[in-house]
Amino acid sequence: MSLKDAMPVEKGRLSWFSPNWVLLLLSTIALGAFFGLETASVAPNRIVSGTGYLVFSALGWQGALLGMVLILALIGFSCIAECQEYRDAYKAMLVIVMALLALMPFALMVATSRLVDSDLPQARLGIGAGFWVTLFVLLLALVELRTRLALARIWSWSLLLPIGLLWWLCLSLWLEPLALMREYHSRSEQFSEAFRQHLELVGTAVGVSLMLGMGLALLMRRYPRSQKAAFAILNFLQTIPSLALFGLLLAPLAWLAANLPLAASLGISGIGWAPALVALVAYSLLPMVRNTFIALEEVSPAVIDAAYGMGMDTRQVFLQVRLPLALPVMLEGVRITTVQAIGLTTVAALIGAGGFGTFVFQGLGQAAMDMVLLGALPILLMASVADALLGAVSDFLRPGGAK
Amino acid sequence: MTVNTRAATQASRSPWQIGIPLVWLLLLWLAVTGMAQLEGFFRLFEPDVRSVIYSRVDFSLLLGRHLFVVAIAALVTITLGLASGIAVTRKKGRDFLPLVSQLASMGQTFPPVAVLALAVPVLGFGTLPIIVALMLYGLLPIVRNTLTGLQEVDVGIKEAARAMGMTSGQILRQVELPMAAPVIMAGIRTSVTINIATAALGATVGASNLGDPIIAGIVNGNTAYVVQGALLIGLLALSVDSTFEQVQRRLKADESPRNK
Repeated sequence: MSLKDAMPVEKGRLSWFSPNWVLLLLSTIALGAFFGLETASVAPNRIVSGTGYLVFSALGWQGALLGMVLILALIGFSCIAECQEYRDAYKAMLVIVMALLALMPFALMVATSRLVDSDLPQARLGIGAGFWVTLFVLLLALVELRTRLALARIWSWSLLLPIGLLWWLCLSLWLEPLALMREYHSRSEQFSEAFRQHLELVGTAVGVSLMLGMGLALLMRRYPRSQKAAFAILNFLQTIPSLALFGLLLAPLAWLAANLPLAASLGISGIGWAPALVALVAYSLLPMVRNTFIALEEVSPAVIDAAYGMGMDTRQVFLQVRLPLALPVMLEGVRITTVQAIGLTTVAALIGAGGFGTFVFQGLGQAAMDMVLLGALPILLMASVADALLGAVSDFLRPGGAK
Repeated sequence: MTVNTRAATQASRSPWQIGIPLVWLLLLWLAVTGMAQLEGFFRLFEPDVRSVIYSRVDFSLLLGRHLFVVAIAALVTITLGLASGIAVTRKKGRDFLPLVSQLASMGQTFPPVAVLALAVPVLGFGTLPIIVALMLYGLLPIVRNTLTGLQEVDVGIKEAARAMGMTSGQILRQVELPMAAPVIMAGIRTSVTINIATAALGATVGASNLGDPIIAGIVNGNTAYVVQGALLIGLLALSVDSTFEQVQRRLKADESPRNK
């Protein structure tokens, strides 16, 4: 690097043009999507498919101009990003991307007031492909900027949080005619019920499999001969398709409910939460056991020796040395399991276990795409938030603490 | 990890292991052709309903459609995944490496059902959304493992190859790819196995495949249908998974003498 810097610079060439190709590509795509794809669509009611509007009719020329200027600034900055003289280009781009993300819900508000006829109480504004693509590309740009600026995880989340709050505020206060919000308002109670069910199922499944997984991992350490067989069985469980496992549990649990009064009184039946929970735990065991086992196994023998040398007994060594050192890797297992369980619980809606999957599958059944979105988006959000939170916790617990 | 490698080297010595995928395939074939003969068995699940064997569509046709969807998705994901994994580890594409590797790990948090659900509004009902969802979801493990595999190749070995006068293309084909092959294969295995299971969800968006009997069974409360669909998908997943396992063992066995 330093040698290259010391080399004489060729004169006459465009010395300022040293782009970050990734961001240049992303911002060009954003520009294309902003103008080329539909920003929003309007439908008079739930059944009719909407008419799409491009950016000029959705946001007016002022809105289109503002968006264009900001995205063009992004393109400009990404052309000089790698140039030595403009070191702050990345920071400027971060500010612009954040500004764009913050302006997006307001763009929807503008589109609502311009396009939705207030005389039609059922009229709804659909978010168009252009809006989604721009949002997606901006988030990708944020990921790239985070890497380039070497931002710590905490920082990037504290940057995203106010924007998330702003979105939430706009959605709940002023974006009534948005199709997504119309769907939400017509079943807001079901929504919070689904959220509760989803959380409960995931929480219980992760809790139970954490206990079981720890127990199994400890047993496997005690009886090394059982390791191969145990891992073979757990691997086998993972290859059974989730839909099939949910279906397969219908019969035995229905039989249990019919023949054991105790099971029936506990609320166990062929459909509902019982088969869902069993299947979720079955799937969660492999990542949980594998990570717990590897975590406990990988603690360096020298450290254990040192602990014994200090006069600790077996119990103390396990509780005060082995377990704390193994904790980050074990938490990694909890993270994988939680994210996986959030996804699988969606499928569990097919066997009547509730959760956000209910909206997804009902929406698919009624060909009501806004309802599908109402189910799918919270699932994506839940999975990302769980991933980020548990990742942050395990970063924090890693020896040396948070970065 | 050590447990696995030890098991793998032991197993590669015993030839009968190769028979495992054949056994699963045979069972799958028997299940597809002979489902009607098992009527007495399925009668046990549902003594009262009129039909216990799913007969709306022939099982072999359902299996064929299921395989078709998974195969197309696998073909595209393997090509794209390998190509992008190789591209971003070359000198020219290195700028894109952080973004692609972060995407590949972040994408794992997206549940396949949600991806499928989001594909339907864009692509409509039928086989197309399920193929696209499978492609999107199957791409990630392949990209991630291609990246890991290629990045784990020892720099010293690459330098030695260059010093021997190999061109970059030769190094890629004769050194990097063969050494990364076991890891890449593991990614392909994960991707295809997950996709066989996920494809069954296509039945909820109007794609007809082995998920059909399961959905029909759940909707009509006919456990026998569910068992038939689950049995076939399970057998298919096990056949494919164990085939990949054998291929992986072959690759590992090929590589191990070189490492020592």
